[in-house]
Amino acid sequence: MKTISQEEAPPLEVRNVTKFYGDFKAVDDVSFTLTAGSICGFLGPNSAGKTTTIRMILEIIKPGSGTITVLGRPSALEVRQRIGYLPEEKGLYKKMKVWSVIAYFAALKGMTGKAARLRAYELLERYGLKDFAAKPTEALSKGMAQKVQMLASIAHDPEFVILDEPFSGLDPVNQQVMEEIIRDMAGRKRTILFSTHVMQHAERLCERILLIAQGKKIFDGTIDEAKRTLPRRVRIETDDDIGPLRELHGVISASPAEAVHGLAGSGGVTHWDLQIGQDTDAQAILQLCFAKGIRLRGFNQSDPTLHEVFMHLVGPAAKEVAFR
Amino acid sequence: MRYVFLVAWREYTENAKTKGFWISLFMLPLIIFLSADVSFLLEKKGTPVRHYILVDQSGQFGPVVESRQERAHEKQVLAALNEYAGKYAASPAGPQDVVPPQSLDAFISKGGEDYFLEQLKPRLKPGAPAFKAPRRPFQPATPPAQIDTNADLASLSRDLKPYLRGEKKIEANGHPVELNAAILIPRNIEKQIVRPRAKTPTANGSGIEYWSANLADSTLHDDIEQAVNEEIRRREYQARGLDAAAIREVGQTYVPFNSLNPKKEAGQEAVGAADVIRQWAPSGFVYLLWVAIFAICQMLLNNIIEEKSNRIIEVLLCSVTPGELMMGKLFGIAAVGLTMVSVWITSLFGVLIWKSTGAPDVAGALLQTLKTSHLLPMFVIYFVLGYLMYAACILALGSVCNTLKEAQNYMALITMSMMVPLLTLAFIPKDPNGTLARVLSWIPLYTPFTMMNRVNADPPMVDLIGTMILLIASTVAALWMAGKIFRIGILRTGQPPKILEMLRWLKG
Repeated sequence: MKTISQEEAPPLEVRNVTKFYGDFKAVDDVSFTLTAGSICGFLGPNSAGKTTTIRMILEIIKPGSGTITVLGRPSALEVRQRIGYLPEEKGLYKKMKVWSVIAYFAALKGMTGKAARLRAYELLERYGLKDFAAKPTEALSKGMAQKVQMLASIAHDPEFVILDEPFSGLDPVNQQVMEEIIRDMAGRKRTILFSTHVMQHAERLCERILLIAQGKKIFDGTIDEAKRTLPRRVRIETDDDIGPLRELHGVISASPAEAVHGLAGSGGVTHWDLQIGQDTDAQAILQLCFAKGIRLRGFNQSDPTLHEVFMHLVGPAAKEVAFR
Repeated sequence: MRYVFLVAWREYTENAKTKGFWISLFMLPLIIFLSADVSFLLEKKGTPVRHYILVDQSGQFGPVVESRQERAHEKQVLAALNEYAGKYAASPAGPQDVVPPQSLDAFISKGGEDYFLEQLKPRLKPGAPAFKAPRRPFQPATPPAQIDTNADLASLSRDLKPYLRGEKKIEANGHPVELNAAILIPRNIEKQIVRPRAKTPTANGSGIEYWSANLADSTLHDDIEQAVNEEIRRREYQARGLDAAAIREVGQTYVPFNSLNPKKEAGQEAVGAADVIRQWAPSGFVYLLWVAIFAICQMLLNNIIEEKSNRIIEVLLCSVTPGELMMGKLFGIAAVGLTMVSVWITSLFGVLIWKSTGAPDVAGALLQTLKTSHLLPMFVIYFVLGYLMYAACILALGSVCNTLKEAQNYMALITMSMMVPLLTLAFIPKDPNGTLARVLSWIPLYTPFTMMNRVNADPPMVDLIGTMILLIASTVAALWMAGKIFRIGILRTGQPPKILEMLRWLKG
């Protein structure tokens, strides 16, 4: 097994990359850099340009313009032995045995035949697939086949791994296994870029997210930074007038809560969402309520979820694409 | 190069594991073996002994028919003995061992089978099995007791019909057996003889009646007819005071007539069976070539489509370049094909060596042809070039199609153009340097098949070398174009591209 490269160069540097398919601009001037040993979530709605970007990084297709540097090299093919890739559409050779598929892909990544074989068995044992090692892959369930493919793409212990929708089609238990595999790799200081549109996975796994929509990068930063793009929120439940709260410094807006809106009937809104500034203390709202005699039946302060951030940032664009 | 090898190795091992490969591997040797042996075996063991009844009311021809049957049997015994001697006699069979068929009379007069075996004994190889004489294919049987053999033919045949139709059985050696044929010779047969000049025979009648439900096998019918008529003619000679023996001798007088080939060396111009085999053997190889190329091209197509439809291709392409992938596939499948072809050729040789007894027979002549002509090396060269040529088309086709169904629509085009060599297969050996042969030779898609067919006919040097150069050049060009299309097509999803679009890829 290779040791981690000591090169100073970041594992991935994408600069001003653009790609057209005919007249359709699939990727529009995207730039970003990954730091070594990080897990980065690559998020975006369907047909945002995620898979195209990934294919360009791997040099399966050439970018229209811009440069991509992988592990310090201008071409991913030069360092292909140090890269792992799990494509979005999963498939295996149907008639090949499970171990030999893993060993074959590992050998194509530069491992010797014997080492690749040993590695295949080791991985299958570690992730509970030992009994299937000698079965043809067509005998596997979809979830198992996907795990096998994942193992095949990381069998050579690459420094930089790109996973395109690794969780799609997996049940919660297998999603857990997949997360475990990813964490194992991160624990060994491998750099991981994975695309998903399931925000919970990104929230659990990534330090950093990269959001693109309609080919453009919309956000690039940590999860906390992403959440800060949305105001914080306090939800209160009361029958009284909340007018005084609107006056409070730091409260940006107060509006009837969407989720329960309409349940109260025409008589009056009872649930309110207050958006508050980043530096506002929710405690101050509570104090004002006491002071103004607003009787609270519920008070709940929460940070926005990544899901909300996603909807906020790409919602309109995603819908537009979906209805196109 | 390592990646090319890895891809090729996987292609080879995975395809060598498939059932289809093993079936095609053994199918051809099996066919060769069966065609060499089974028809013979069937004749020897498969045909049941047939029983016939001979009712000779004239009392004149019974012995003639019987002695004819006996003679036919002795002839078969002699042939079997010769084959036995060829197989099991130690030293190369000398002239004494193999009694020429003309001396059947000598064979019979000297004591037949027993005499022959006595002569052969000292030269037999140790462990040779005992000789088993062939069975008599036709056995005479006695008519059932309740049948009146003296009745007129009409009622006799009516009585025999249930037996001939298989509704009743007759008895032979205490076993009930089926009656295959009945030969009825009428009392007045002498008067029914047809003679030239005399317009009508002196008595009416249908002559000898041969009753049998089996129309396919006319051996017995012909044997008896010939035997009786020979006897009648012999008597006729006597009646006219002619010397029957002298007439037989005259009948056997002839002048030799030889076919000669001006292209052969002086002293060896004689055209024999071996030359005919030499002329037609290439056709067999053309067929082999066709089957082999077709089979592995199909394999290649299936593999590309599998990788494309499963999207394995993406993982592959982040490990190897499209060029490496294509070369790997090309070589891997070529190796599969070469394995198949060498198994076929080895088994062909095996069967031929095993079958040829050293005597001048078909197997020996074929073996000699293979050893002395350029058939085999040319076969390998044309196999490789032909495969690469068609594989280029298949690679380009496979890379732009997403499903096997889609590909098969286009494959029909390739299949149809591949039919031409099969259709012309039989014409070319008849006129190997004619216009059709020459024109087809210069079409690269057909060069391998057509030139293969002409190999033994000394085609003009310009054809041999010119078509080869053209074939190599166009194969290289086809592979180059396939590479261009493969590179782009292999990542495409959705509808297959239009021809014009593919032409643009060639430029790009």
